[in-house]
Amino acid sequence: MATKSTLSIGIDVGSTTTKAVLLDAKRNVVTQYLLATGASAQKSVQKCLDELRKSSQQDLTVVPVISTGYGRRQALNAIKSVTEITCHSVGVHHLNPEIRTLIDIGGQDSKVIRIGTDGRPLDFELNDKCSAGTGRFLEVMARVLEVSINELGSLSLKAKRPSTISSTCTVFAESEVIGRIGTGESPSDIAAGVHKAMASKIATLSQRVGVKSPVSVTGGVALNPGFLYYLAQAIQTELWVPREPQYTGALGAAILALGGGE
Amino acid sequence: MAPDATTTPKEKAYRKLNTSKLLRDTMTLHILSTKQASQQGRLAWVTSGFPVEIPVAFDVTAAYPEQYGAIVGSEKCGPLLCGFAEELGFSQELCSYARSSIGSVKNPQQSPLTGLPTPQALLACNNICGTVLSWYEAVSEMTGAPVYLVDMPPLEGDQPSHHLSYVKSKLEGLIEFLSQTFNQDYDEEKLIQVAELSNEAVSLWTRALEACRHKPTPLNCADRFLSMAPIVALRGTQQAISFYQAFLAEVQDRVKNNVGAIVDEKVRLLWDNIPPWFTIYNFFNTLAKKGVSFPADSYTHAWSANIPRGEILESIAKVYSNVYLNKGLTAKIDKMCSLIKDYDLEGFVLFSVRSCKRYSLGQMVTKEEITRRTGVPGVIIEGDMVDSQQYNEAQVETRVEALLEMIV
Ligand code: SF4
Repeated sequence: MATKSTLSIGIDVGSTTTKAVLLDAKRNVVTQYLLATGASAQKSVQKCLDELRKSSQQDLTVVPVISTGYGRRQALNAIKSVTEITCHSVGVHHLNPEIRTLIDIGGQDSKVIRIGTDGRPLDFELNDKCSAGTGRFLEVMARVLEVSINELGSLSLKAKRPSTISSTCTVFAESEVIGRIGTGESPSDIAAGVHKAMASKIATLSQRVGVKSPVSVTGGVALNPGFLYYLAQAIQTELWVPREPQYTGALGAAILALGGGE
Repeated sequence: MAPDATTTPKEKAYRKLNTSKLLRDTMTLHILSTKQASQQGRLAWVTSGFPVEIPVAFDVTAAYPEQYGAIVGSEKCGPLLCGFAEELGFSQELCSYARSSIGSVKNPQQSPLTGLPTPQALLACNNICGTVLSWYEAVSEMTGAPVYLVDMPPLEGDQPSHHLSYVKSKLEGLIEFLSQTFNQDYDEEKLIQVAELSNEAVSLWTRALEACRHKPTPLNCADRFLSMAPIVALRGTQQAISFYQAFLAEVQDRVKNNVGAIVDEKVRLLWDNIPPWFTIYNFFNTLAKKGVSFPADSYTHAWSANIPRGEILESIAKVYSNVYLNKGLTAKIDKMCSLIKDYDLEGFVLFSVRSCKRYSLGQMVTKEEITRRTGVPGVIIEGDMVDSQQYNEAQVETRVEALLEMIV
């Protein structure tokens, strides 16, 4: 049996960003770090670990690391890799044990997980085949509308009459958005249409596993108020968002590492 | 990173069957016999669910393009051969068995075994899917061999008498077609004998499959997928019986001595659908290293029905109309739920094969329904059995790993 550790590290190597969390034995976050994954996942893992060491001013060489995310096998010093499905469940369960459904929207994938009372996943659906319903979709639309990704959400909340964007495919939706600009619809109405389209895609994915309340949204896109507004409408339920939704997977990995990865 | 494997690198996590050599020899002889039959003008290409006992009773040798597709997949030349068919204008959405078969007819020199030998007849039965007819028609245009379709409309529930007599009339048509094409009279006695041989092989095969209820399972998924070759290609012949006698003896021996197909069985899962041939060993053996076995699957169990006694054509019509690909989704769900129960399985993997719409249709509902009925979790993974361009290893891995994390 692995011994319990006094510190642990969880590292979530996503396709867009890498996140790392250092926990103490009581599961308090000592420090955390996020950076763009870039071309080398191994380098970004190393950079994250260096930053944790610097800000905690501790020697972390013997601290157990569990890695998760698409690049989980690139974290060479991890004692184990665990899928993002399990790590996200464990992470969100720690933050709010009531949560029964988790919707995580990453830069290039999205997932819906039904969580049991013990914080373990019961069922899940992943969309990692196309960029529809991922952060990438919103990035492309923000570029076409010439606003920053951070502005896109609040812009959509100013809509008077949300445009209809019928396609959830990034390529087709892009042409639709260009068409709407051409017919003179306002940027806020178009932004609202974009978020509605994305929300409907996620709602479909959610229905496959069945939405059970309370529902949490995590991942970078959970910081977008426009998306949350339209998603809540689409799945007709309130949404709970952790304070730092991007770290949920890394947090779950760190919690598992505290127990020696068992 | 510490490896997840629980075995040392030198020790194999899975055990090779001693009968694999006999299997290779049996299938090599079969391939040679198809070449010879083609030269003698007595070769038919046949679909996997075809009532093959009838052409065998006419001394016609059967070659199986679907089995050839599996060879193409294993040899990792699916994208190349499918590409040849796509150059002719066939869609990427068409079944990759059909595409690789058509591709191999177009460019035999660049195909494994230089393609299947030229057929004198193309025998299709749509109890597995409708694709086979268009596929065989395309091959017919390229080779000049005539096509005969045994039409078996899909069934829901019990087979009504009008369905049975319709299928029987198609079998009578087949007899006429074979008599004319191969210039030979129909011999009912001979057909009955062939059906008996077929039943004997099917019984041996079924007993080997059922032995996998034992813990640890004596056969893993890849073992069954490879060893099913004679039950598909040599049904109704003595060679099939000889092979399965030896095969069953080895399986029973494993059971008696508690020797598992994998060294350290920890988790038992069900597999649904054709396997990804191009990575079959990699897929199942990587999981074997983690202690994951697959004691049952929905696919290899499809060849386990005996032709009942009675009027021979009617009996054949009954068995082949009732294969579960020709029945509603419930029949397949029932089958998988009973496999989970009978083989004491803890989860299931549904492979959504892009090529095979008929087999993959309804897997989302199937997943929900199986979990509801049995209480065990499952995942759907996506890909193809031959066209490796439609398979993403990392995505498959994440799903299967997440399933294992849910079970353990
Ligand atoms: S579509 Fe499916 S059943 Fe039909 S030939 Fe292809 S693999 Fe076989």
